Amino acid sequence: MITFEHVTKRFQSGSYALRDVSFQLNAGEMVFLTGHSGAGKSTLLRLILMLETATRGQVQVNGRSLGKTSMRYAPQVRRQIGMIFQDHKLLSDKTVFDNVALPLMIAGMRYVEIRKKVRAALDKVGLLGKEKSWPLMLSGGEQQRVGIARAIVGMPPILLADEPTGNLDPDLSRELFGLFRQLNAQGVTVLIASHDLALIRSMGCRVLVLSKGSLVDDISAAELAGSAA
Amino acid sequence: MSAAGLRRKSRAWTRRQLYSFFSSLGTLLNHRVGTLMTVLVLGIAMALPLGLYVTVKNLRAIDLQQNDWGTITVFLRSGMQQQEAAALADLINRDLRATVVTVSPVEGMEQFRAASGFGRALEMFDENPLPWVLLVTPASTEGGDLGAAVTELDGWLQQRDEVELVQVDFKWLQRLAGLLELGQAFVLLLTVLFSLAVIVVVSNTIRLDVASRAEEIQVLSLVGAGNGFIRQPFLYSGFWYGLLGALLSLLLFNLCLYYLRQPLERLLDAYGNTFVVQNLGMEGVLAILAAGGLLGLLGAWAAVHRYLRQLREHGTLGKL
Repeated sequence: MITFEHVTKRFQSGSYALRDVSFQLNAGEMVFLTGHSGAGKSTLLRLILMLETATRGQVQVNGRSLGKTSMRYAPQVRRQIGMIFQDHKLLSDKTVFDNVALPLMIAGMRYVEIRKKVRAALDKVGLLGKEKSWPLMLSGGEQQRVGIARAIVGMPPILLADEPTGNLDPDLSRELFGLFRQLNAQGVTVLIASHDLALIRSMGCRVLVLSKGSLVDDISAAELAGSAA
Repeated sequence: MSAAGLRRKSRAWTRRQLYSFFSSLGTLLNHRVGTLMTVLVLGIAMALPLGLYVTVKNLRAIDLQQNDWGTITVFLRSGMQQQEAAALADLINRDLRATVVTVSPVEGMEQFRAASGFGRALEMFDENPLPWVLLVTPASTEGGDLGAAVTELDGWLQQRDEVELVQVDFKWLQRLAGLLELGQAFVLLLTVLFSLAVIVVVSNTIRLDVASRAEEIQVLSLVGAGNGFIRQPFLYSGFWYGLLGALLSLLLFNLCLYYLRQPLERLLDAYGNTFVVQNLGMEGVLAILAAGGLLGLLGAWAAVHRYLRQLREHGTLGKL
């Protein structure tokens, strides 16, 4: 579903965000991406979202290789991806309902259907009844969950999350990861960048470890289970 | 693609258009003061060429209405008698096939007294100083050249001994025609210039609008909105600006016309014209509205185009 082949990302300043990173995520996998801050987790996610292009190497999403020339396909690629941002990226002048409905409006869905799906998504993140609130009226955790509802409302085949539990207390974090697992069980490919090692360990999923832009470890779920034992 | 798939796509497209449509209206309503200012500028900018256009149109209507502009006033030598005047009138009528109206000194005095208000002063004359006057109108000039007919008559009359003075109104009309041509060119020039102004004003407004909504555009593009979806509300906004500006210009223009109509008609009456000031007419109104909307759309397109290219090439709107 997502393939990195010898991907290097160098910024104009000359510093390297990623160096020769290769891995493959199969459809239906749920994988954690971890590493210290500045290790390149966000850059890796941004490459998948086509917010950056690789300096060298190739990134493929759902069979399409992403490069400078395929920039015009960015909307199509992004529609297959539900992205959860660390800073939520909600629109403060739109209600919670309108924020979550955005991907569906872009898809040109019927309003009746949009209503149904938005309510279902908000229900999943425990915010049903907050449709008419404004994002700024909500707590950080609630805003984060609105962002999650927006990411999953269109049922995209890929879900990316950048530190999704950054603003959540442990109980909510656990609940959220449970939600990811549930979506994964329905066939969604999930990639979560997080440095919450304890939580990651408890999930028992494959883990990719980045350090200073290099992929230093790729621990399979089985290995993780073995090491924990 | 199957028919059903195509239908589904076109329905989705329609819904997106509707969404953009309402979202653009919402934006305009949310920024009422700003919208009003822009529309006011556009309205004034469009009212000026509009006013000039209608003015020239009215003046041209005078030109077309007044066939008797071709009438030549012939003053005969003083001391001429009625028979001589009548003989000349017959001659002109027979040889040159022109219509001739004979005005006797007495009739002339009556008309002058009624029109000028110098009644008392005129009584001071011992005898009537006015000569016999012939009003000569060339034969029907429909489709023909009024100018040539008038010139020919003028030449013939100048040669006659009985004639003291020939006064041709037509020259005046020719000058008016020249002025009108100039006026028309001026209207065209102004229209082009002010159309450009409308485009620039709308473009700048939309540019600011895009900049202030950079965050929203960013988020929209992150969740997979294509260029069309991002561009559409701004294009609609531009269209609304142009349309509202055109509406306002029509309103302004009609207010001015209402204010000017009475003095204008009185003035034209004084020139002996029963004249009704012409307004734009339905087609004119529709043309102005369409032009306004189109110019607004163009302005918006110009403003958004630049940002969308950036969006396409870099995937995001970096700096605005």
